[in-house]
Amino acid sequence: MWGNRRALTQVIFDSLIRASELTLLAVGLTMVYGVLRFPNFSHVEFAPLGAFLALYGASELGMPLLVACIPAIIITGFIGVGCDRAVFARLRDRSPIMLMIAAFALGIVIRELLRAWWGPSPYFYDIGLQRPMQLLGANVTQVQIGIIATAALCMLGFHILLNGTKLGVAMRATADNVDLAEASGINTERVIRRVWFIGSGFAALGGILLGLDTQIQPNMGFGIIIPVFCAAILGGIGHPHGAMFGALILGFAENIGLAIDWQPVLALVGIETGPYAFIPTGYKAAIPFTLLILVLLMRPQGLVGSRAR
Amino acid sequence: MIDFLVYLGTMVGIWGILSLSLNIQYGLTGLVNLGHVAFFMLGAYASTILVEIFGLPIPVGFLAGIGAAALFGMFMALPTASLQQDYWGISTLAMAEIVRLVFLNQTLGSPYVGASFGVGGIDRPLRSWFETPDAYGWFYLGLVVTLLVLVMLLCWWLRKLPFGRALMALREGDAVPLALGKNVRTLRIKAMGIGGAVGGLAGALFAHYNAYIAPNYFLPLETFLVWAMVILGGAGNIWGALFGTVIIQTIYNSTRFIDDYLPIEDTLLGSLRMVFIGVMIILVIIYLPNGLFPERRPRYGSRPPADG
Repeated sequence: MWGNRRALTQVIFDSLIRASELTLLAVGLTMVYGVLRFPNFSHVEFAPLGAFLALYGASELGMPLLVACIPAIIITGFIGVGCDRAVFARLRDRSPIMLMIAAFALGIVIRELLRAWWGPSPYFYDIGLQRPMQLLGANVTQVQIGIIATAALCMLGFHILLNGTKLGVAMRATADNVDLAEASGINTERVIRRVWFIGSGFAALGGILLGLDTQIQPNMGFGIIIPVFCAAILGGIGHPHGAMFGALILGFAENIGLAIDWQPVLALVGIETGPYAFIPTGYKAAIPFTLLILVLLMRPQGLVGSRAR
Repeated sequence: MIDFLVYLGTMVGIWGILSLSLNIQYGLTGLVNLGHVAFFMLGAYASTILVEIFGLPIPVGFLAGIGAAALFGMFMALPTASLQQDYWGISTLAMAEIVRLVFLNQTLGSPYVGASFGVGGIDRPLRSWFETPDAYGWFYLGLVVTLLVLVMLLCWWLRKLPFGRALMALREGDAVPLALGKNVRTLRIKAMGIGGAVGGLAGALFAHYNAYIAPNYFLPLETFLVWAMVILGGAGNIWGALFGTVIIQTIYNSTRFIDDYLPIEDTLLGSLRMVFIGVMIILVIIYLPNGLFPERRPRYGSRPPADG
């Protein structure tokens, strides 16, 4: 059933890289969604914002890229908090519909400001040409291993934060039930600010990793909005661990979906094809879209969640 | 100058029809459709394919565009029964993108038609009857305005019908229509179908006016523009939606003008106008949640006693 296009280990590595980029975005999205109860379409825009800030630090201010990432992530975190204060804090009591449209508008504002500043053409981090090395039969670059390691470390750190600190407990409590958290003496507005800071910062890091792997351009955030939402919804909204799991599933679904020869499956349902039946690469983006709709239809509460939506 | 105004008027008319169709779905029924551009796209592509590839007459293309968009609208409405509004909104965004992906990957007829190349040289209705492009521009403006007025009458009539009142009740929540024995699922499917049909009409009008369509005309950004028009004007209000269309389209197209007078690059100006529209919509949502022209809601029951 495996196609001869890519080795199995290659598929696994590609899936892990994809999952690493998605998980950093999905975790922040699911926290904000869980706490504020609206789909924040502007969340993905923090990815190009962070990527461009890091690029600015590295290319204009002459910092090493690793150093430039730190202010980029922190600034993006504060911009996220600022966006919440400026826009969403004023709309706390409104219907989620209005928040959704406002988020869409805010996302466009951020994206178009970036485009106005940097122009539409793509940029690359100056990391030189990466020579892929052979690892278990797959071609992987050092940067790609770094991407997987960074994401894994972040998720481990976030897990410790969620389960081992007071802030983490407060965050989970607020995501679960804002009123109950407030009644238990949690300052929910402060928790919301921290959630925005962490979420936007993670998104910025996700953008930097995505930029390292591919290219940096204003559309890079909106381009992956559906996979990110899909990962968050797969894991159940408000559950960061679920979002990590969702990102993994999505990374594998995209890459395995393309690597599989669907001919035996199609023959089973009676559709005659040629000797091979691969999903055309142009339709790769359709995999998360379809998955999202299927998940929404069958398990809108997420794969692991139980709360009815 | 005059031909620019004719062009702007035609675009306002086409987008006015599109925003009225969102008004039926969101303003009247409260459906948060974030894939609205799919109707526009299906109307444009269905009509183009039938007319250009299969050589059918243009009116048939228009009808097919309307029909395809209506069917897709009804299809989009199917999951509403089991989904919360925000979840459904995300799913509509994904559905519209799937449609765009299909057109982006699918060539039509020959290798360089369709897909990312788009389709060019689309027939314009009754073009041979007019000698100059100017005269034809006026004719098409007239056609668009006539159809716009018809759509406005349809919207106005919908509000008067028991069906329209049921839709408005649905907007405020499922409880009341359910208590009255209405099938909320069917109501939503019908509302999406009617709104889709109107959106498909706008798409067909656009394709045969612009004479060229490509998948990148139908990005989620266009959906946002339609939303901006409805939110700015006032959801549920026919005149509000039209007023919002005039404002947004004028801003959107005015860049053709401004770059004659200001030394700003085209791409920069293109970004800045979207920033402007985005900031405006955020301000409208914060400070004028009902838009510039709030919907006038009929009051029933006894009037409060008049003074004196």
